[in-house]
Amino acid sequence: MSVPELVTVSVDGREVQVPKGTGLVETALAAGIEIPVFCYEPRLGPAIGACRMCLVEVEGMPPKPQAACTLTAQDGMVVKTALTSQLARNAQNATLEFILVNHPLDCPVCDKGGECPLQDLTFRFGPGRTRMTFPKRTFDKPIPISPTISLDRERCILCYRCTRFSESVAEDGELVAVNRGAQSMIATFEDEPYRGRFSGNVTELCPVGALLPTTYRFEARPWEIQTVPTVCGLCPVGCNVNVTTREGKVKRVLSRNHPDVDGGWICDKGRFAFGHLGARDRIVDPLRRQRRRGLQPAGWDEAVDEAERLLRAAQGRIVTALSGSETVEQAYGLAKLMRTGLGAHTAVLPEEISDAVDGFRLPLSAIAGAELIVVVGDDPVEERAPIVDLWLRAARRNGAEVVTTGVGGGAKACRQLAGEDDELGRRLRESDRPVLIWSGSGGAGGAHVAACAERLGFGSKPDSGVFYLPLTPNGRGVVEAWSAASDDEGPDPDPIGLLFVSGDEAASDPSVRSLAERADAVIATTMFQGSAVGWADLVLPGTSYLERDGTFVNLEGRLQRLRRAVVPPTPDELAWISQLAGRFGVEVSPYPSVVFGELSERIFGGLPYGEVGERAALRGREPTGELRAPAPAATPKGRGLRLVRYRPLFSGAAVERVPELAFQRPAAEVQLSPQDARRLRIKAGDEVDVRSNGTSRRLRARIDKGLVAGVARIADEHAEELQATVEVARA
Amino acid sequence: MIDEIRRVAEQYPVARSAILPALRIAQERHGGWLPPEAFEEVGEALDLTPAYCKAVASFYDMFHLEPVGRHLVELCTNVSCALVGAQQVLEAFEEELGVRPGETTEDGAVTLRTIECAGGCGWGTVVVVDHRYREPVRAEDVPGIVQELRDAD
Repeated sequence: MSVPELVTVSVDGREVQVPKGTGLVETALAAGIEIPVFCYEPRLGPAIGACRMCLVEVEGMPPKPQAACTLTAQDGMVVKTALTSQLARNAQNATLEFILVNHPLDCPVCDKGGECPLQDLTFRFGPGRTRMTFPKRTFDKPIPISPTISLDRERCILCYRCTRFSESVAEDGELVAVNRGAQSMIATFEDEPYRGRFSGNVTELCPVGALLPTTYRFEARPWEIQTVPTVCGLCPVGCNVNVTTREGKVKRVLSRNHPDVDGGWICDKGRFAFGHLGARDRIVDPLRRQRRRGLQPAGWDEAVDEAERLLRAAQGRIVTALSGSETVEQAYGLAKLMRTGLGAHTAVLPEEISDAVDGFRLPLSAIAGAELIVVVGDDPVEERAPIVDLWLRAARRNGAEVVTTGVGGGAKACRQLAGEDDELGRRLRESDRPVLIWSGSGGAGGAHVAACAERLGFGSKPDSGVFYLPLTPNGRGVVEAWSAASDDEGPDPDPIGLLFVSGDEAASDPSVRSLAERADAVIATTMFQGSAVGWADLVLPGTSYLERDGTFVNLEGRLQRLRRAVVPPTPDELAWISQLAGRFGVEVSPYPSVVFGELSERIFGGLPYGEVGERAALRGREPTGELRAPAPAATPKGRGLRLVRYRPLFSGAAVERVPELAFQRPAAEVQLSPQDARRLRIKAGDEVDVRSNGTSRRLRARIDKGLVAGVARIADEHAEELQATVEVARA
Repeated sequence: MIDEIRRVAEQYPVARSAILPALRIAQERHGGWLPPEAFEEVGEALDLTPAYCKAVASFYDMFHLEPVGRHLVELCTNVSCALVGAQQVLEAFEEELGVRPGETTEDGAVTLRTIECAGGCGWGTVVVVDHRYREPVRAEDVPGIVQELRDAD
């Protein structure tokens, strides 16, 4: 990389050196001077100079105020901001007066009040008094542009941040400005809701109170709230977030920019799913099965006694089913209890996770700078790890080519790519900055994709990378913690004396349920009644990622710190794991910091808990041994289309309990390739019957240009009992 | 219509650039205005969202988002035309048709609009009748033009 040329710029008489091409707003900031802005936001693409708040005087340019946000630093530039230039001062004053012409005096009832850039900048740069004595423009307000976002057009100052986000970041094209000039307004199409995975980000971008989350409406004032920096625990990206709490309740979730992980964006699941904390069927007391009366609330002492009894009775014939959403510390505590205390070494994870990809580790942000990206697997990236989709879009805008392959057979596709005569493989081999991403079911994906990268020569290219998108938020951390607890192994118990189910995700996994049928007894830890009632003998209340302290390992292998935003309504898992472990002579601390300290020596290089950091660093590449891809699973044969199931982003126990997100749930549709649709004479929007021996589902057809022929892709919750091969016909 | 739009789009390096001709085709097909389904069709043809298509259409004056009459009378009221009596011509149309600018006669025959400069400044007042220029038009010509439209109906 060449060192950028430095230029000297004078801002209000202060000389500052910055790389040539630095924006003037940043240049002034380097000199310790603020140029106020509304519309300027570099993450949204090139500056557009819409709001005119950043006007400054630049020597040698035409003698009128210049929009600083659209200028870049040039050598010898002399800039005068409102601090030293009467021209700039007058211009900013007038700009604010114009912006305020139609802005209502809503501040006392506006949720933005107190944390509003318009309020702050008016106070600091605007006219002290108003000359506006005539009526202001009025609109109906607030208009719900979706169940999660409301729009107040009177407050809008038309900075176009939100529409630029929709057009150039999320690229959903749903939020636009209609009409022209003074009649311009922000709108969606007709009465359609703003449906998109990232829509909530516009509420953070809006510099006034025009776009606000409905879930925060009249909930709190900025001086009443507290902010807890933590990470989101709903997908393997682990976006950094700030959780706003008031009086011990979560009120909203905001992004907390980690430039390497999330770039300051979060998805709507991460932003709005916090409502599940107060779900009506939340379990707060242990539940114990009693003869003829079913599950009955029990005290904690009774519950721990009962758990001890069940664990002893199983005589080590125990299977532990983990969700992959436990913290590293919880998983380790549980592993110690089961493995050292009870000699029960059998665990079930939703998927097998390979650490082979760690040899090709890169930060997620590197995707944006890649040259050629190949995504292998069945699942749409945005459903598995939504922020990765934003990085892919950024890469495409930066000129990268993104290829999706291997739908319905990722392992086979990996072998093919690594083969001698594959065209795409050849290009990956030749590229300096290639990236491979595995996005699909079948946990061995990490091993497949890493073996493929090895054969394509990624090992000698520091800017190459491999990403595996796990199904679970902390699957990697849980696996590491489980294996760190003991070196012993034992046979899989048969019959199963006790099934221990940790978490709602494991509890709703059909394969775990079928294990439960073979087990003499079941202990489940779940947050919600719906997950465990009916089949567990003892239910211990679970907690959410927002209520836990501990660490998570994200898909990059980045160790991140979870902080407790609110106190759970029940003791957290580590508390009773510790108590229960004591009964079996195993020492597990109830404090995550202590548990981590014990574990860190073994798997995190002795990193102290306090140094995990609020913007966690990424570990370096870890050399892997010889890589061998496991044999690919046999692809089902038969006539018809291969069914590819995927788990939609807006699904799962938390989302199901948030009514505001109901409109985002996946439509009952089947995705078909254009070729198959043509062959079957099916048009987009047609009602079709999807059949496999014995079962049939009526779904709507959607044509997906990115899909290969021979595949029908259906969201898990709509595929239900369908088998691996299906027939699709117009209804 | 979708095929027709796609053929037009082939003449552009990027399909999205064909949005204006595409909207014009859609407007012709939908009786002179763009109902919501027109944006869905254009969006499908060019791989754009309906919201984006509507955003573009609503920016331009020559796209109509409300139904128009079978005939369209558009009258320039900019400086050159105003100097030679555009106001009187407008009033004559208002009287003859019984509508205000922006409105359509009750029988759905004629929509009257005022527009910005149509580029015929040497021959004011410019009146555009069903996309064809009449110039110069004076107030006394108006009854004849209206009769012509009623006869053609």
